Amino acid sequence: MIRPLARRLVWALTTLIVVYVITFVMVVMVPGNPFQQSDRSMPIEVEHALRARYSMDNNWLYFWEFLGGAVRLDFGPSFTYNDWTCTQIVSQALPISAMIGVLAILFAVLVGVPLGVISAARRNSWLDVSIVSGVLIGISLPTFVSGVVLLTVFAVAWPILPIGGWGTIKHLPLPVITLSLPFIAYICRLTRSAMLDVLGSDYIRTALAKGVSPHQVIWTHALKVAFLPVLSYLGPATAQAVTGSFVVEKVFGVPGMGQHFVNAALNADAGLIMSTVLVFSVLLIFLNLAIDVLYAWLDPRIGLTI
Amino acid sequence: MTAFHPFTWVASALAVVVTYAYLNSTKEAPADFRYVNSSGIHTLDPARMSWTQDFRVALNIWEGLTTSDPRTTKPQAGAAIFPPLVSADQLTYIFTIREDARWSNGDPVLAGDFIRGWRRCMEPGTGTDYTFLFTDNLAGAADYVSWRRKAAGALTTLDRLRQGWEIDAQAAQSLAHHPVFEVIKPSLSLRSTIIDQHDNHSASLGLARQLNTSNLNWQALYQQTFDQHVAQMDQRFSNVGLEATDDKTLLVRLLRPCPYFLDLTSFPSFLPCHPSVELLREGDVDSGLTREGLVVYDPQWTKPRGIRNGYPGLITNGPYFVSDWKFKQRLRMSANPFHRMFDTLNVRTIDMLVYENTSVAIMAYEAGEVDFLPGMDVPYDHELARLSQTGQRRDFLMCDTFSTYFMSFNCKDERIEDRPNPFIDARVRKAFALAVDKEAIVHAVLQRGDRVATTFIPPGALTGYPSPVGSQMDIAAAKQLLIEAGYPQGQGLPTVTLLYVPSDERVCQALAGMWETHLGARVELRCQETKSFAESKANHRFMIARGNWYGDYYDPTTFLDCFNTGNGNNDSGYSNTAYDALLHRARVTTDIAQRLELLAQAERIIVEDDLPIIPLLHYASPIAVKPNVSGIFPNPRLRFPFRYVSVAR
Repeated sequence: MIRPLARRLVWALTTLIVVYVITFVMVVMVPGNPFQQSDRSMPIEVEHALRARYSMDNNWLYFWEFLGGAVRLDFGPSFTYNDWTCTQIVSQALPISAMIGVLAILFAVLVGVPLGVISAARRNSWLDVSIVSGVLIGISLPTFVSGVVLLTVFAVAWPILPIGGWGTIKHLPLPVITLSLPFIAYICRLTRSAMLDVLGSDYIRTALAKGVSPHQVIWTHALKVAFLPVLSYLGPATAQAVTGSFVVEKVFGVPGMGQHFVNAALNADAGLIMSTVLVFSVLLIFLNLAIDVLYAWLDPRIGLTI
Repeated sequence: MTAFHPFTWVASALAVVVTYAYLNSTKEAPADFRYVNSSGIHTLDPARMSWTQDFRVALNIWEGLTTSDPRTTKPQAGAAIFPPLVSADQLTYIFTIREDARWSNGDPVLAGDFIRGWRRCMEPGTGTDYTFLFTDNLAGAADYVSWRRKAAGALTTLDRLRQGWEIDAQAAQSLAHHPVFEVIKPSLSLRSTIIDQHDNHSASLGLARQLNTSNLNWQALYQQTFDQHVAQMDQRFSNVGLEATDDKTLLVRLLRPCPYFLDLTSFPSFLPCHPSVELLREGDVDSGLTREGLVVYDPQWTKPRGIRNGYPGLITNGPYFVSDWKFKQRLRMSANPFHRMFDTLNVRTIDMLVYENTSVAIMAYEAGEVDFLPGMDVPYDHELARLSQTGQRRDFLMCDTFSTYFMSFNCKDERIEDRPNPFIDARVRKAFALAVDKEAIVHAVLQRGDRVATTFIPPGALTGYPSPVGSQMDIAAAKQLLIEAGYPQGQGLPTVTLLYVPSDERVCQALAGMWETHLGARVELRCQETKSFAESKANHRFMIARGNWYGDYYDPTTFLDCFNTGNGNNDSGYSNTAYDALLHRARVTTDIAQRLELLAQAERIIVEDDLPIIPLLHYASPIAVKPNVSGIFPNPRLRFPFRYVSVAR
C-alpha cells in the first residue's frame, strides 16, 4: 500500500509541474500589457520598470519566482484587482465555491443514488421510465437554464429566497440545487447501470434464495458493490464542483472561484490565471488519489495502481 | 449487522456543512442604502484608478479641495474654503483647508496630505493613467515626471545589467535616454550610440547586444546613478508648483491659466492621502524607492483593516469610510464620525454589492434587494430605454453622458498588412464619414436613446463653448470625394479592415453595409477580444477601429488633446500642424471666450475637414433609482455623491 501510494504521489507532482509549465507558456504568450487596465497608453519606461518590478521582463526569472511563491502559497499580485493578492482572492473565493460544491455533491449522492437504485429495481416500470427521462433532461439542461428557472420560481414568482448574493444561509439552496442537477442525473445513471449488473450476479440470487428480504438485498448487498463506480466518479466531480461553476456563480451572484477562471483569462491577469489553474489541478489530482485510496480500501481486490 | 450505509454518512456530512454555513452566515443588518457595481472595484487607490465605478466609491470616502454639485457636477466647496484665492494672472491658487476638515481617525486634514496624494499620482509606480492632469497643468510637474520616468527606465536596465541578465532592445532604449548613457558611451562602438532621436529598433537591438557583452562595472554605475537620483529628488520636487505655506494653506502654481482647475480638484486624482500610508511604503528604507526607482506601496493600504507594520487600515476624509470589504462581494461604507456632515447624513451605511450579471442585478432591484443601479448594460437596454422614454418606468432615468463613441482611421501608416492604406488621404476619410447614416445606427440599430453625434465633444455640455456643426450624411458628396481621391465607385480601393470588440458587432456590420452599398468598398470585419484589440490598436494594425472617449473634466481639451501630435491617446496617429497650433494658442490664451473659440476652430478641423474620426453617438446611460430614494440626479459624468441621498423607509 505504501509503495504504490508513494509512486502515485510522485506522478501527481509530475502532473502538476507539467500543468504549470503549459499554463505558464500560454500566459506569457498572450498579448497585452498586464499593467495597462484602461484604454490609455502607458509611458514605455514605466512599463519597462513595472515589468522588472514583478520579474515579468524575464520569463525564466518569472517562471521560478512564481513557482517559488506558489510553493509558499504566495501567488503574487493580481493586475486587474490591484488591491488584492491572488492568494487573497483565491482564499476568499475557494471556501465559498467549496461550500456550494460540497453541498451540491452530497445532495446529488443523496438524491441520485436512491433514484438509480429504484430505477434499476423497478426496471422498465413507469417509475423507471420517468426517472430515466428525468435524468436525460437533467444531463442535457444547461445550468444557466435550470438556474434561471429556479430563480424565477423561488425568488421572483414566489419570493421565499433572495435573488442573489452571498452571506446568509438563505443564499445557499438555489445555487446548490442548480449545481447538483447534472451531478444527480449522472450519479443516477451510474447507479442504475451498476445495479442492473449486480442484480444479475450469483451472490444476489444466493441471498434471495436464502430468504433475505428483497429490500435488504437491494439496499445493502447490491448497493455496496454498485456504489463503487459512483465513488470513482465522485473524485473528479468533487474537484469540479468545489472549484466553482462560472455559470452558477454568474446567475446567482455568488462570489466564488468559477468567475476567476474566465475573467482572469479575459483580463490577461497572469498571476490569477496561474493560481486558479494550479489550485484546480491540485484539487483534481488529490481528490482522485483520495478516491482511489478509498476504493482500494473498500474493494481489496482492486488495489492501488498507477 | 454493520451494513454499509452510504446515506447515513452522506446525510450527516450534509447536516454538518449546513450547520457550518448557518453558523458562518452574517447576522449584520442590511445597509441603509444598497447599490450595485457589476464588475467589482479594480482599485481604491486614487492614484491608480481609472474606472467610473472606482471613482464613485473614492469620491464618497475621500473629499478633495472641491466636490461636485450632485445635479450639475460643477465644482463646489469641499475640504477647502470655496472659492480659493486666485491671483490676477490666474496662475496661482491659494486653498485654505477648512478648520473642521478631519480624517476618519480624527486627525486634522493638512495641506501636506494633499501634496502627498497629488505626488503619488505623479510618481512612476503609483501614478498611472492620470499623471497627465498634473504634468499638463502644474508648474514644473512635467519636468519632474519626465526626469523620474527616465531615471526609472535607466535604473531598471542598469539593475538588470548588474545582475547579469540579458537586456532587450526596449531596455537598451530606456538607458540611452538617460544622462548616465554619456558615461557609458565612450566604451561602446560609435555606431550603436546613434539611436538618440529615432528609437530605431535594430539600432536599439545592436546597443542591447553591446551592453550585454560589455564589461563595465555595472554595480558601481547602478549605485552611482541611484544615489545621485535620490539626492536630487526633493530638490527637483520643490520645483513643482505645490507648496504648503502652513498646515492649512496649500499654494498651487499653474503652468498656464486653467479655467477648469477647480473642476479638476474634484477629480479623484486630486484627493489627499493620510500619512499612515507611508508605513506600507516598499523598497529601500532610506530613499523610499525600489531598485527600479519606482515609488511602490503595499497595495493592501486600501483595506479597512491593516495587517502589518502597525498600519491602522485605510483612513479617509470623506463623509463615509470603508468599514468592510469582501472581494467581489460587498464593500460597506459607514458614516465618518469626524466629517462635518456626520449629523446630517440621512444614509448612515451604504453597501456596494457586486452582481457580475447585470440582469440578476436588475432582478434584485425589482425585488427590492437593492435601491440603486448606476448602470444597466444589458442586451435588452433598448427596451429599458423605451420604458424610460415612454414614462412607463419613472424610476428608470437616462443620463446623457459626457462621452463619444466613434470610429477612428489610421492616418499614419502608409501600408497596413501589405495593403496600401487609403485613409492617409483626408478625402477618403471624409468620404467614408459622409456615407454613414448615423440616424440609422442610433435609432434603428441600437435604439438605446443615445444622441447622434456630429461632433467629437458632446454639444451643450460645456457652457460658452461654440460647438462646430460637424458633418452630416451626404452620399453624393462622399462619392464625389472618392472620385477626387482616385477611387471612382470604390475601384482601386484595397479591402478595408474594420477592427472592433464583440460589443460593437451590430454597429460594425451596419457600417460595413453602408460603405459597401454607397461607396463600393470591400470591408473586412475583424472582431477581437479587448486585450488583443488594445494591442492591435496600439501597434496601428488597423485601418478603421472603434473607439470611445469619456471626458474627464469640463473643458474641450479633455477631448481635443487626443488628436494632438504625439499624444499617448492619439490612436489614429493623426497629425496636423494647424490643429496643434490652435491647441497651443488656446493653452496660452487667458481670455475665456477667445480660448473657447480657438478650441472650437480646432474641433472644426477634426469633425469637418480632416476627419481622423467619425463621431457616431454620445452615449446615454440608463440608471434605476427606487422611488423612495431621493438625492440621486442623472448627470453626464455618472457621479453620484451619496451624501445627498436619503431613503424613506
